Amino acid sequence: MHTPLIGVSQEILKIKELIDHVADTGLNVVITGETGVGKEVVSRVLYQQSPRNSKPFVKVNCAALPDGLLESELYGYEQGAFTGAEKKKKGKFELAHKGVLFLDEIGDMSLTLQAKLLHVLQSGEFAPLGSEREIKADTWVIAATNHDLAEKIVEKTFRADLYYRLNIIKIYIPPLRERPEDIIELVNHYTNEFITQFSNKNIKKLDTKTIDAFLSYHWPGNVRQLQNTLKRVLLLGNGYEIIEELKNGQTDFPESRTSAIKTSINKANTFNPSYNFDEITDISNFSLKEVRKKALDKIERDAILYILNKTNWNRSKASKILQISYKTLLYKITELNIEQPATSSE
Amino acid sequence: MEKQSKLLIIDDSDVIVEMLYQFLKSKNYELFSASNGLDGIKIFNSDIQGFDLVITDIVMPNISGVGVISILKNKRPDLPIIAITGFGEHPESLAAEAHADVVLEKPIDLNILNQHISDLIARKNS
Repeated sequence: MHTPLIGVSQEILKIKELIDHVADTGLNVVITGETGVGKEVVSRVLYQQSPRNSKPFVKVNCAALPDGLLESELYGYEQGAFTGAEKKKKGKFELAHKGVLFLDEIGDMSLTLQAKLLHVLQSGEFAPLGSEREIKADTWVIAATNHDLAEKIVEKTFRADLYYRLNIIKIYIPPLRERPEDIIELVNHYTNEFITQFSNKNIKKLDTKTIDAFLSYHWPGNVRQLQNTLKRVLLLGNGYEIIEELKNGQTDFPESRTSAIKTSINKANTFNPSYNFDEITDISNFSLKEVRKKALDKIERDAILYILNKTNWNRSKASKILQISYKTLLYKITELNIEQPATSSE
Repeated sequence: MEKQSKLLIIDDSDVIVEMLYQFLKSKNYELFSASNGLDGIKIFNSDIQGFDLVITDIVMPNISGVGVISILKNKRPDLPIIAITGFGEHPESLAAEAHADVVLEKPIDLNILNQHISDLIARKNS
């Protein structure tokens, strides 16, 4: 499945032109921009237009794993290299041989792993954990981050030498709010896509009021957020209200019962896992451990609610889909305060 | 009469481009310039065999000088390239790895630059 890079703004056209010129060079690329702006899409377009497009495209999220796990994920390990290394495992560098290795959120990589990555980029070789042999690394490294790496260098959390080695090609994707012509283009493109996808439903294109609302919203989640919001709007038909709710932050703090019902129905109809730190009002207990627990609870909650809704609250069916025991599901429903949403009378 | 040598200057600083342009024009070179790597590559593409030498800055937006050198050398392996750097160790060593023929540190001594240009073009033509 191949998502195209959609946009008609000067900025996007320039990026497309840049891609045309560099896709066949294999030169290291760093893609920057806010979350949801399309960094992975750009990496995949680069891949598709390159001579490596018949080889693997391997993605690694450097923020998702703790250091030790990330290291073994990238470089692999031999059997017995450490406790739990029951059998040999190929690292992503090896899996991406002759293809592309997409390192997402590279700004979150620890300094130790940065040093190792630099060595691999300089020497063209790496050794799996617990191994003495070095493997040739013939992969095209494309990195992405929503951090300002130059700032991180000043803060001494990112190595300057790695920065210069990665930043041979730099692609910055401006936030959606700075290119309203692309908002229109994206709305048109995805409306047509959803109409095709949901051909049995009566989907109406957005009215002017809603389009204006889309244009005036600042889209902190950029294209990904617009896609999800547009989907809800097209399926539920109350576009203007949804945008107003977004603007007032009401999707997270519903003021009225009606919008609360709508919100829970909206939430139950989509699975959009994310954690909104604005919800946290008490920072006296903001330890990373707490954050991790809260975030995990929320994601589990959202996932369970989504599946329950899909199965019409048939708990037995849901537990099978979620691959947990029926008992565990009931326990989680109580523990995580998952309530069956009251059906709206609309 | 000898044909004028055709040079391409790529630097994102208008001041530097202007300075190099004025100086090299006075030395009777035919000059083209670009303020970023992508435009530089496009200009080069318009006459791949025709350019005698390229001068490029290292730290630039979008396509860094290292990328430019790599791309141009790929199109024309015998193209002499002078890289200009002002940022210390790392970009310099990268420029050398990307096979820039000469790496000069800012501030540029224009006469030394001119000497390198003549030498490289003479070497290429021999």
